[in-house]
Amino acid sequence: MQHPDEGTIHSWLDGALSPDESARLEAHVKECPQCAAAVAEARGFIAASSRILTALDNAPRGVIPAAAPKKRIDPMVWRVAATVLVVAAGTLVVVRDRASDERPISAAADRGTILEKRASLPERAPAAMGPAQIVADATIPKAAASKAPASKAAAIELARKTLASDSGSGIRARENNESAKAGVMMQAGQSAAGSGYVGGAAPTTQPLLAPSHVAGAVAMDAATESEPLKVVGTPRRIGVRVTLYEVAPGDTVTLTEPMFTALNSVVVTGTATASVAQQATGKSAEAPSKARANAPTVVTTPDSQRTDAILSTSSASAPAPAPQNGLNSIAWTDLATGNTLTLTGRISKARLQEIKIRIERERATAAAKKNP
Amino acid sequence: MADVERLFRTYNAALVRYLTRRLGDCDWAEDVAQETFVRALRQTSIQNERAWLFAVATNLVRDEARKDMRRRKHLALLAEEERDEVVEPEETTLERAQEAAMARKAVDGLAERDRLALLMREEGLDYSEIAEALQLSPGSVGTTLSRARRRLVETYEALQKSREEREKNAAS
Repeated sequence: MQHPDEGTIHSWLDGALSPDESARLEAHVKECPQCAAAVAEARGFIAASSRILTALDNAPRGVIPAAAPKKRIDPMVWRVAATVLVVAAGTLVVVRDRASDERPISAAADRGTILEKRASLPERAPAAMGPAQIVADATIPKAAASKAPASKAAAIELARKTLASDSGSGIRARENNESAKAGVMMQAGQSAAGSGYVGGAAPTTQPLLAPSHVAGAVAMDAATESEPLKVVGTPRRIGVRVTLYEVAPGDTVTLTEPMFTALNSVVVTGTATASVAQQATGKSAEAPSKARANAPTVVTTPDSQRTDAILSTSSASAPAPAPQNGLNSIAWTDLATGNTLTLTGRISKARLQEIKIRIERERATAAAKKNP
Repeated sequence: MADVERLFRTYNAALVRYLTRRLGDCDWAEDVAQETFVRALRQTSIQNERAWLFAVATNLVRDEARKDMRRRKHLALLAEEERDEVVEPEETTLERAQEAAMARKAVDGLAERDRLALLMREEGLDYSEIAEALQLSPGSVGTTLSRARRRLVETYEALQKSREEREKNAAS
């Protein structure tokens, strides 16, 4: 047999030769030192290449990027979700509103309402409030507004409209229609986030509006966690009660509630239901028209010394307060106390609204415990 | 379906290892292996399973490499940059990393056919399977393998030698 080539030796070592060929080669190698050396070398190559190739088994991962780190939910998603919910709630309110218009005005008036009343006794019971302080428009004299039951109804009307329109840019067009109809000029056209007042807060304790509010709250619950808000601090500040809530690790919001009684300023958003009010009260028509008929007005009572107490000017003619350093705030009136509550935090308005609803619920629960 | 499951259980490990050695990236290798088994799903019958799987995987790599070689190169470069920043796991010592780098270089230095034949052989494919997968004549597989092994080992040893010399120079 002639000397086998290298390929044949490898074939033999790999067991790829037929039994006949194998036997012949084996016999030859035994007698041929040159081929025996070649076989030894081939064995070395086989072993070495196996070893070398093993080193490739710890190949890195990374050419195809691993799964991206989990991201927090985009704040925009919350914003959109909140918008949808508020639109839904608002629609419900409007629909209910139509139905409840049939009710006697006194029924609505009996429930009493106060809109954007600034700074009064924190724990004052609604019954002790006396005549509701309402200034729906400069065209409505304050006295008339505060006493006339019809104006209260108008105020409720305003509250509803405000709720209906408090949904930001998503329903801006519809909102504007509503505004034109009702004479309510909210910040709608100006602030996409629908900043400032939350008219929806007013009906919290109003049975008339309760179902829709609850619907909204329940819907909000679906989108947010339901465990109680964690109070992380109550720093002392003069004249106000401040509560810090932790809404997420590292994220806190500040709830500010005035403690002074001296302030009696009343701020109303827009010309609000002026037409309704005028229809309802003959006095309204005689009212001195201090403000532009269609312009929203901020009215403060003369005894209000501290204009800084007006935390948010929601006049449509003034731009909505722009968030500073990512700080957003919303303000609303707590009907149980008549106080204006302000919620501030470095989170989106939509999220603030959610927290507002939770705070309201917790306050209501606490109040119920106190006065069963 | 059960057949593909059996195929997967029988050959996935070898196929992934083969592809990892071929491609130098576990993720990519796993992707190609999966795609190979997906292709197997579409087959009504496969005569020589192992040869078929390795051939399909090899073709997938070839097609993909042809299609987006540039993109891969770029990504590999990025991955390498990132790898430099990433703290290696403990067991990957410097020594092992250097060995792997040299092995990679040596394998990449082989002709494609030699490389594939060698990698397939390492996964246990017999000569007829390698011949089928790579469309070689069965008689040439031995020659191909012997050439591949010799070249691989010689290249690796040369790299090792030059590294040792560099280290010696650096030390002195």
